[in-house]
Amino acid sequence: MAILWSCDSDSPEISYTPTYLQVEQPANFPEIQYNLSNNPVTQEGFDLGKALFYDGKLSANNSIPCAFCHEQAFAFTHHGHTLSHGVNGGIGFRNSQPMQNLAYFSEFMWDGAASHLDLQPIIPLTSELEMGETLSNVVDKLKADTYYQSQFPLAFDDGEINSENILKALSQFMLMMVSSNSKYDKYVRNEEGVTLTEVELQGQNIFENKCSSCHATDLFTDQSYRNTGLPINAKLDDTGRFKVLENPEDLYKFKVPSLRNVEKTFPYMHDGRFATLTAVLNFYDSGMVDNGNVDESLKRSDGSFGISLTENEKVQLIAFLKTFTDNEFLNDTRFAEY
Amino acid sequence: MEVRTTSYHLSIIFIQMKITKIFITLLLCATVISCSNDDNMVESLVGQTGDLIVKFDNGVGDQDLIFDVSYDKSSNESYKLTSVKYIVSNIELTKSDGSTFMYPEIENAFIVDEADANNAGEIYITLNDVPAGDYTKISFGVGIDQERFQKGADGQGNLLAEAQEKEMLWSWATGFRFIRLDGVYSDATVTDEALNIHMGSVGTSLDNYREVSLDAPNTVIVREASTPEVHIKADIAKVFDGQTSVLFADGYNQVHTDETTTPVIADNLMGIFMIHHVHNE
Ligand code: HEC
Ligand code: HEC
Repeated sequence: MAILWSCDSDSPEISYTPTYLQVEQPANFPEIQYNLSNNPVTQEGFDLGKALFYDGKLSANNSIPCAFCHEQAFAFTHHGHTLSHGVNGGIGFRNSQPMQNLAYFSEFMWDGAASHLDLQPIIPLTSELEMGETLSNVVDKLKADTYYQSQFPLAFDDGEINSENILKALSQFMLMMVSSNSKYDKYVRNEEGVTLTEVELQGQNIFENKCSSCHATDLFTDQSYRNTGLPINAKLDDTGRFKVLENPEDLYKFKVPSLRNVEKTFPYMHDGRFATLTAVLNFYDSGMVDNGNVDESLKRSDGSFGISLTENEKVQLIAFLKTFTDNEFLNDTRFAEY
Repeated sequence: MEVRTTSYHLSIIFIQMKITKIFITLLLCATVISCSNDDNMVESLVGQTGDLIVKFDNGVGDQDLIFDVSYDKSSNESYKLTSVKYIVSNIELTKSDGSTFMYPEIENAFIVDEADANNAGEIYITLNDVPAGDYTKISFGVGIDQERFQKGADGQGNLLAEAQEKEMLWSWATGFRFIRLDGVYSDATVTDEALNIHMGSVGTSLDNYREVSLDAPNTVIVREASTPEVHIKADIAKVFDGQTSVLFADGYNQVHTDETTTPVIADNLMGIFMIHHVHNE
């Protein structure tokens, strides 16, 4: 008996008394997909996740944190880069995606190669083109750091610095990144008497007719993978969703992106080929090519592929797309480095 | 496959651990008492736990598996391997009365790596705190089941880091490689072409986890003072010539995430294992 007692009192007494945080469920959003009961968000876990997100230690040369490619002011995209670059100047294959509203998604990345938010960070962490690290090395580096020595026990009951808790903390930080207070949101939720202008309303009407079959729900994506007839860039030859299951029907399909904060997430498309929204709409109107597997819904009555838009409609659509900009989110100090 | 929900399951494990502690204490008392009693008492297994060793022994047909040695397969194809690894999880033991013991989930995933084998070519997995009993069957999964995978990081401890160290995690997508065979193959037309079998489930879209149930040729007797060794032979030849015979020349030299080839390999894997013998001390 005496031996057992002394074992218990040996363990360091850092008290685990977390403050639980609520992941928002905005009234106009689909339901949360992430299983929060497996990883309840706490203030301490969130703080830890934020520290990890902004810490270069997660990369091989200690200088490429997650935030390097995901900058808050641009809805956590890699501002000004068509393709993201990482350690040793390696150039990745894709345009970095915004990080927002991840709690409401069940698959991640342009091709859906990540099927759980906890596991997604393993990909950039270990990619030689991005952070070039290994989980065990990161664990070792964090174990040697006094901040992490004291923060893990505050954030997790078992206090362990291991891959499970590193990934859980990153998820907690990411889960809280909810963008739901754009002009559009306030308008649809009837808040603060916000109204849309005449032009924005015309844009909304076009959007509902021509875009919302794919850019569906108030997340503006049905979370499916589609081939939109982008001309193939032979240098990258990115086959998209095909890479995941090697199914020929998936050739050149990419995840329908959420259009939230789209005004800020330029450049556009999986390879960042379009610098402006005008370029995107010009593509929908007249740039599509038949690469053999284009979404049937994009076929026009004359057999060509595209979504016809007049110049005026493009202006109206862009005005509407800009109502998705959520300045509260883009300036939210909870997510800011300093 | 029993249905498990984490928090529930973990708390059970926790309770089990507590109970184990109490029993160990009782056991110590019991030992002290039995010391003063020379008569043989009826053996009571209640609360008694012991260890069990599972030995994996990879071979090719009736030969030992040795790296860089050429092995013949069907259709005049041959191959040489430089790495052989697979994941074994959800080990469950069945007693002669039909009752079962599932090893605690958090520790119940193992990477069997031929490179870790002793000189006899055996890889050891030790199960601790197994309830004493007479077991007749062992079952396990090859790979990681969907339920565990969908928990993300939860309940996985350092498994993800270990899997990554062993190169059993994909880096371009999230997922485990359930089996990893690397080497070269030759046939009538090609010599030493790359051979890479990196089969796993693909997210939640494609489930390649398979379960195996093996009868023991003799009873596996677990006691506090007796650690049995279950010697499992794995015939790597059956990965290619199992339920289905596959041809490297048909694309089975590169198996990664393809929806048609990966399930064939997964099904073949179910048939590679057998319990060769059991040592009881
Ligand atoms: C070198 C640049 C780079 C770094 C560093 C980086 N990312 Fe990314 N991130 C990207 C790119 C590019 C994509 C899109 C990848 C794809 O689809 O193939 C992406 C996608 C994501 C997504 C998916 C978003 C969605 O909507 O599906 C998440 C989540 C994410 N990153 C989180 C992280 C975290 C956490 C880290 C740090 C551990 C990190 N990233 C580090 C470039 C980077
Ligand atoms: C058939 C489904 C479909 C329809 C209809 C559709 N889109 Fe898209 N949209 C996509 C897909 C898929 C992508 C990503 C393509 C890629 O990167 O390869 C995309 C990308 C975009 C982007 C770039 C976003 C970013 O973050 O890079 C914008 C902007 C956009 N669409 C706006 C629109 C508008 C406006 C309409 C209506 C005129 C529309 N879309 C109609 C499927 C669709």
